[in-house]
Amino acid sequence: MKIRNIKTIISREYMTRVRKKSFLLTTFLVPVLFAAMCILPSVIMLMAKDSDKKVAVVDQSGIVMPYLADTESVDYTDYSTVPVDSMKASFESLGLDALVVISPIDSVAKTVSVSSYSAKPLTIELEEGVCSKVNDAVEDYRLAQYDISDLRQIMDSIKSDVSMSTYILGESGEEKITSSEVYMMISMVLSIIIYMFIAMFSGMVMQSVIEEKASRVVEVLVSSVKATELMFGKIIGVACVALTQFFLWIVLTLVLVGGFSAFVGFDSLMGDPAQTEQMMEMTAQMGGVDMAEMTASMQEQEGMGAVLNTLRDINWAQMIIAFVVYFALGYLLYASFFAAIGSAVENEADTNQLQMPVTVPLLLAFLIAIYAFNAPDSPVVWWGSMIPFTSPIVMLARIPFGVPMWELVLSIVLLVLTFIGCGWASAKIYKIGILMFGKKTTFKDLWKWLRQN
Amino acid sequence: MGLIQCNDVCKSFGEKVALDHVSVDIPKGKIFGLLGPNGAGKTTLIRIINRITIPNSGSVLFNDRPITQDDVEKIGYLPEERGLYRKMKVGDQAMYFAQLKGMSARDAARELKKWFVRFGIESWWNKKVEELSKGMAQKVQFITTVVHNPSLLILDEPFSGFDPVNAQLIREEILRLKDEGATIILSTHNMESVEELCDNIALINKSHVVITGGVDEIRRKYGNNNVELVYTGTALKPAAGVFDILSDNDDAGRHTAVLALESGYDTNKALREILLQDVTVNSFKELVPRMNDIFIKLVTEEE
Repeated sequence: MKIRNIKTIISREYMTRVRKKSFLLTTFLVPVLFAAMCILPSVIMLMAKDSDKKVAVVDQSGIVMPYLADTESVDYTDYSTVPVDSMKASFESLGLDALVVISPIDSVAKTVSVSSYSAKPLTIELEEGVCSKVNDAVEDYRLAQYDISDLRQIMDSIKSDVSMSTYILGESGEEKITSSEVYMMISMVLSIIIYMFIAMFSGMVMQSVIEEKASRVVEVLVSSVKATELMFGKIIGVACVALTQFFLWIVLTLVLVGGFSAFVGFDSLMGDPAQTEQMMEMTAQMGGVDMAEMTASMQEQEGMGAVLNTLRDINWAQMIIAFVVYFALGYLLYASFFAAIGSAVENEADTNQLQMPVTVPLLLAFLIAIYAFNAPDSPVVWWGSMIPFTSPIVMLARIPFGVPMWELVLSIVLLVLTFIGCGWASAKIYKIGILMFGKKTTFKDLWKWLRQN
Repeated sequence: MGLIQCNDVCKSFGEKVALDHVSVDIPKGKIFGLLGPNGAGKTTLIRIINRITIPNSGSVLFNDRPITQDDVEKIGYLPEERGLYRKMKVGDQAMYFAQLKGMSARDAARELKKWFVRFGIESWWNKKVEELSKGMAQKVQFITTVVHNPSLLILDEPFSGFDPVNAQLIREEILRLKDEGATIILSTHNMESVEELCDNIALINKSHVVITGGVDEIRRKYGNNNVELVYTGTALKPAAGVFDILSDNDDAGRHTAVLALESGYDTNKALREILLQDVTVNSFKELVPRMNDIFIKLVTEEE
């Protein structure tokens, strides 16, 4: 192997890719998307605030109005003295968005009925807000009918509000507050990115091998450099593209979100800056994760303390190192497989059959990883994180939940050994495959090439 | 001394034997024709010399010592199936190939500029290959083959895809490179260019070398002591013990005859004998077989 040749190959593979329009487009558009995902909820909240709903209330029961306190987005005005019909005719001209009419109390059922009138449909939020408050009023009214003294104090003392605090007992016996949702989330994000990156960029390697073979450039190339130099140069070049894209995504997202927040100045809305940053980082890494889940956890104000605690306690260094190591090794393993497959075919349409044994474990790894979000300690997940073909993805899903060092080391050693073996085998197939034209390659052929010298 | 010596090279792919104890000696500074029908093993031999394929047994010497991976920098290879990166710019691509052959970026740029000017294609530097016609791409490919000033050039069907004008340009370049000291292996089915360009040849058929040596020597060896005589006058009569007349075409008093010389190959004796008869000799020419005929004869004989 000549380092100079490999360098030349890497730089061509890298430069031709990062100069492509499609690369520039995805590199710059995805952060915009990520940033939009971070910024939009806040913007929506801001916008919602600006257009408060004004609601007129005609309370014929006389018990509900005190419960209808103004909220951030709705102003209630008491028009109980005005007749319903004339209100119906005039509420719009008074600049009101809706009219809510509460009937007199039905003395038998001890309840009221509520009707609303508006030019445009009411929001669910508003409807639910009114309903729950009317229910509160009716419940309190009914309770009052029992005429029990000190009822309020009794009710207050009965009311319970229990939330669970989760502790993990560390080796030294100290207790930590954790939030398992945070672990799940990080675990999910990590395994999705690593799966996406391995699949996407190994596929790119295969495509590029096929392109060189189909255009017959390869024969000139291997007359200048060794086939193994060409294969590994290509694999490393594409890996550099992957890392560049990943890095740019994070930086650009942070810049966009940071710039936007500074410009609009609503840090307060985004909450604690440290937490915002973590969130942004996670969002930057997500790529395709359900957005509802993201915003839900962002808005989840309760338990934020625990979340922050958890985030602070996570061994970020270990996680980042593990991410880089597992991405590198997993990608190397799969990219060398895909390079071998690419070398055996003459066009992409022929790859389907040969790809099967490689895509199946990759997909399986992803499925096990999804399972690991819920059951990180199950045997399937444990074995998945050890077996080299699934370990890069499954182990990353396990890591946020804590993995003993010896398991990490064992899994990495197995992965390295497998890569060496499979890389060698792939290089052998590649060397012969790239110069084979004409007949369609079968698994039998691959096996034959593997044994040839 | 040969620049390349292949000694007893054997190569098989599974059951199929591609080369069976092949030995060829490719002299330095000459053009060496590698001939043979399709599937005879020429490409395999070329790939072994290029170190793309490693032989099962036998050795390849480059400058009298076993060839190494470093030596491929001194080889320029134009494969029969041409190929360039379609989406890459011509200049970037040429730079890439030159650098893979061990040139520094600066040397590569300087040498490439020279070649682009010589071929009158400077304006293509920033074009993508997919914008070029097939012939244009071939020119670029030829440049990438020779830019690093290789001491050994391997050209597989170098004229295919070129129009007659450009084929002539390439022919002149090949001869110029030879004059500058390069050794050239020319693999082609075009026997005319073999006669025109090659000093030595090897004919490979069914995995082994059928014949190898100097072109003139081989042609003469397969010649059958015939001469072509054009004359005017009365019809020539055979001279016993000197020559026999195989055919005589009378075209209004101008005869074209093929004579088979006997008793060795004494042309002077034959001429003297002819002049004794009542004829005027217009031309007297040794009849050497065409490479084409030798090729067909040797290959069909083996069937």
